[in-house]
Amino acid sequence: MRTILVVAVLTFLSTIGSSRAGAQTSPAFELPLLITSAGQSADVTMAGMLCKKIGVQAKTLPNAKGSDLAGVKTLMIVPGFSSKGLGAAGTSRDQELERVKGLISAAREKKVKILVLHLGGNARRGPQSDDFNRMAAEASGRMIIVKQGDEDGFFSAIAKEKSIPIDIVDKIASAATPLSALFK
Amino acid sequence: MPLFRIRALLLLLAAVIISALAAREFSGMRTPDTILPAPSLTHSGLLSDYSPSLSGTGADTKVLVYEGAARGGTFLLLGGTHPNEPAGFMAAVVLAENITVRSGRVILIPQACESGFTATDPLEGSPQHFTIPTRSGERSFRFGGRGANVVDQWPDPLVYLQFPSGQQLSGVETRNLNRAYPGRVDGTLTEQTAYAIMELIRREAVTIAVDLHEAAPEIPIINALITHEKGQEIAAAAVLNLEFVGLQYALELSPQNFRGLSHREWGDRTTAIPFLMETSNPIQGRLRGRTSTALLLDGTDPWYRLARGLGRMRITYEETGEPLERRVGRHTQGIIALLEAYNEAHPEAPCVVEGIPTYEELLAHGVGAFLK
Repeated sequence: MRTILVVAVLTFLSTIGSSRAGAQTSPAFELPLLITSAGQSADVTMAGMLCKKIGVQAKTLPNAKGSDLAGVKTLMIVPGFSSKGLGAAGTSRDQELERVKGLISAAREKKVKILVLHLGGNARRGPQSDDFNRMAAEASGRMIIVKQGDEDGFFSAIAKEKSIPIDIVDKIASAATPLSALFK
Repeated sequence: MPLFRIRALLLLLAAVIISALAAREFSGMRTPDTILPAPSLTHSGLLSDYSPSLSGTGADTKVLVYEGAARGGTFLLLGGTHPNEPAGFMAAVVLAENITVRSGRVILIPQACESGFTATDPLEGSPQHFTIPTRSGERSFRFGGRGANVVDQWPDPLVYLQFPSGQQLSGVETRNLNRAYPGRVDGTLTEQTAYAIMELIRREAVTIAVDLHEAAPEIPIINALITHEKGQEIAAAAVLNLEFVGLQYALELSPQNFRGLSHREWGDRTTAIPFLMETSNPIQGRLRGRTSTALLLDGTDPWYRLARGLGRMRITYEETGEPLERRVGRHTQGIIALLEAYNEAHPEAPCVVEGIPTYEELLAHGVGAFLK
């Protein structure tokens, strides 16, 4: 029942348009969309579920590499460190940083637009996560951030410094609104 | 009689009296906690029904089964895997005393590590019991240690070699149920307990299973929902369901290379989809001040409040503390969210359970309101 309500609210939110904090004009984000993690948190699953619920088709590869970008128009990076996630992926934090760095570099070469979706709030902030957060945010063309993750202005400051449009949303479910608008 | 002899006799007498009192208190922890199941209980048994080697040992524990009129999925809930994490145990007791199953089955093991309820951890200064006011008067429950009682399983090896992975852990972890899966029938008492739980999951064809825990406020996986990879979509939906009622949860994947954990071994070795939830429990924390029943129940601690204010480390500690009702409420709401998400994903065999108190209800009325 609750899930039905969530779907209903997501659908409703996606029809009433974005409540972007920045209200900047967004660059066009096109399909095909590839979703990947930066830090191997399971938030990447949440991102995939959000896309599914708003009808945006996406492929999710938590460990995507440059070679996975063939034909991809938009790369969505979901940053956030998880020691359990790294364990699940059988990789180390340093290896993960290298992978993400390489992926961003490949995306730039192939002119794939980068969208950052930070869903994990406080749990995906702090020294372990922020290297991933910064790397992804600085490379992005747009950010959608759940408010709790930007309480200290971390993402807002990067957005301001690099002139990157940013949407700050109250909750994970609210991220559906700007996300949906970006792919219309 | 010389004075020194009189002094010696008095000292000896004092030692005997103190020892007798301590022994009485210690053996009092062998008295089982009273759980008063809801009328919908179908039948109860013992864990040794699934592995007779446990019979008559300190590890044997109650298994409560609630069956619905309609067929459906089977939900297994473990409380008390770590008996020093009372919110998990109490959430299971709250379910035991309140639920009605409409379809499918619910199997509850409120005190999965029964042996651990018979002794507290050394040097922690932990209370042995706590009481909760209810409609029928005060009810007392035990607060145990993290692992099995050393009286039941001794000695600890210097290094614990997890079976069958061979993973090396600190020797004390040999008594930790949540490092012992899949266990073995002829292993240590903890391994035998783990084996019996695995057998239960297999024989009862459990489809969804939840292991309830708590952790110190400084542990990063607080307020997390940990899932085996086969439960990712259900867990993600549950996190959204929980957000809908104002509860933030981090979704975490079970590491494949960390063996012995419930969410890893249940998922790999049975058809059950396993999950684990953690709440913030200041009495387990290293920063805590006085260790008391009040800390266990109210979850308020001046040093955690100070640490929160300083903001120099990441802790999960609310300004008003982490009272038991909030922690139990997070667990019950988490169970509601998981079952909803599971039933959405498996409409052909849902497990429909009524009577689970919500987070808001527990915050408003306290744990005692949901105990008989």
